[in-house]
Amino acid sequence: MKLMVEFDSDGVQYPNIAAAILRSGVMVNVERALIDGDEGWALLDVDDKDADMFITALSRKGVSIRIQKDAVSHNRTDCVDCGLCISICQKQVFSFDENWQLVVDSERCVLCGRCATYCPQRALSIQK
Amino acid sequence: MYKSIDEINERIRDGSVRVVSAEEMPNIVDELGVTGALRDVDVVTTGTFGAMCSSGAFLNFGHSEIPIRMEKMWLNNVEAYAGIAAVDCFIGATQESTTRHSEYGGAHVIEDLIAGKSVELHARAKGTDCYPRTSITNEFTLQELNQAIMLNPRNSYQSYNAATNMSDQAIKTYMGFLLPSHRNITYSGAGCLSPLANDPTLSVIGSGTPIFIGGANGVVVGEGTQSSPGAGFGTLMTSGNMKEMSSDYIRAATMTGYGVTMYVGVGIPIPLLNEEIVRHTAVRDEDLKTNIVDYGTPFRDRPVIREVTYAQLKSGSVEIDGEEVRCSPLSSYKKAREVAAELKTRIETGSFTMALATRPIDSHKINKPMAEKGYVCHVNEMMVSTFVTITGEESVKEAAKRLLKGETNHLPVIDSENRLIGIVTTYDVSKAFAKDEQDMSVSEIMTKNVITIAPDAPVDFAARTLQQHNIGALVVIDSSRHILGMLNSYDLGDLVGGRGRR
Ligand code: SF4
Ligand code: SF4
Repeated sequence: MKLMVEFDSDGVQYPNIAAAILRSGVMVNVERALIDGDEGWALLDVDDKDADMFITALSRKGVSIRIQKDAVSHNRTDCVDCGLCISICQKQVFSFDENWQLVVDSERCVLCGRCATYCPQRALSIQK
Repeated sequence: MYKSIDEINERIRDGSVRVVSAEEMPNIVDELGVTGALRDVDVVTTGTFGAMCSSGAFLNFGHSEIPIRMEKMWLNNVEAYAGIAAVDCFIGATQESTTRHSEYGGAHVIEDLIAGKSVELHARAKGTDCYPRTSITNEFTLQELNQAIMLNPRNSYQSYNAATNMSDQAIKTYMGFLLPSHRNITYSGAGCLSPLANDPTLSVIGSGTPIFIGGANGVVVGEGTQSSPGAGFGTLMTSGNMKEMSSDYIRAATMTGYGVTMYVGVGIPIPLLNEEIVRHTAVRDEDLKTNIVDYGTPFRDRPVIREVTYAQLKSGSVEIDGEEVRCSPLSSYKKAREVAAELKTRIETGSFTMALATRPIDSHKINKPMAEKGYVCHVNEMMVSTFVTITGEESVKEAAKRLLKGETNHLPVIDSENRLIGIVTTYDVSKAFAKDEQDMSVSEIMTKNVITIAPDAPVDFAARTLQQHNIGALVVIDSSRHILGMLNSYDLGDLVGGRGRR
């Protein structure tokens, strides 16, 4: 599953992610991150079965953790099932079913936002 | 064996007509043979639903109490062409709003009208004795117009090139967003369901052919603009009554970074009159070829990367240089099927009848490129051929000296064979001095990804490149990366808007 982790000014002072990995022994994949002097966020991918353990290890002052679900919202009425988003997204969030209707697998999204920018019908939006 | 249009129309009237979609035809012909299929099937329906930029509509507003002969006109702030007397206009799909730019355009005005929304009209005129009024602002809906006739100069491409981008920068095109280094492929068209793919010799489709367009029963006007059926790229000019259209089959769209376009659903029924027509409608995606071309080069004759069939494109990935590249359409196959199915229902229920074309379309015609008679200025006419260079091993201090001596801000870096490998600017050098790094080698501070240009590129393209990258100079190189000269933004004068930063 994907975890959206936000750091406030306290949270960025300390190597929280590294410490949590060491403490829990859980491997995580940092999919995207933006961290500067005052605040920051990171999108982590963690195995479902290890998630609870990792969340416990990461929970400290200055760190807020949220399970990232339904990152992509898809407006069925506006969508024309053109499929342009399929090849734009490098995380394979989109595909066609056997009737050439668009299927969205929101779980894989890393919130880059490209699909929302380039959908010709403006049928996609990304939550963050 | 032959069949006449009258026989088919008789069957439509008595309800015994057999209509199938173009997707079903190959199997029917395999099973029954050509003669059997001709006996059993009367009409094949086709369909396509894709971005058809070359679309628009003629609107007639009727006369106001004090009449006006509108000369300039805006509909929801989108300019419409009013140079066709008094109270008519042509609203083109790609025209962009003066306030919302590419997020709203002619296509959106058309879509809003079809959806029953009210649209604001603003027009200006000089005022004449017979048309005294000089301006008007009003609201109107589709139902209030006398006529709203969609007329699309170029629709239903027979097939279209697929697009990829071989350059190392992402590009925004009418084929959608193309990732750098051929990481995706986009294509358009419904393949075996496409109208013209089922009649490539234009033996049944011509002026007067009844069609489904945007939900209305419309007509083929004739040859489309830019039609090139001799090269496999035929187009049709189509028309239909907007008042009968539905937003299910007309959708405004924006290709980000390119502009406004309109998705149009077009379906053409093909009456099976003889065996040749049956054979054409038995086409499969495997038989339909197109080229994947590189949209990363800015020239008309884009390099062909490889040939593909629609079957390969529809499979979702295609190989380029040994790599599987994801590919996806930008036209909707699901909607194309809906068009073909709706057309089938209309024929079966008798609300759509067949007719022969009244004028044929030349099926051998090949489209010509523009013969540019005006003078085009090329980069090699504007570049400076005296320039200074430096090698990567020399020091930053040496670079500073050379920049001063050459009275330039740009210093191309070359290897031992005089090939371009980087560039340093006065900015890079001063930064290095400020950080006390003047003894470092040039290769440590240089920019490796140099923006270059070919000597035969047109200068206005060079100007756009300078602007896009916000730089002050381009290095002109030949195909083996040898430097031919430098093109400075200040030499291009007005062609470049803001002066480059570096
Ligand atoms: S690009 Fe937009 S309209 Fe096209 S399939 Fe994706 S969500 Fe739908
Ligand atoms: S935001 Fe990026 S990763 Fe997420 S679905 Fe869109 S393109 Fe894919």
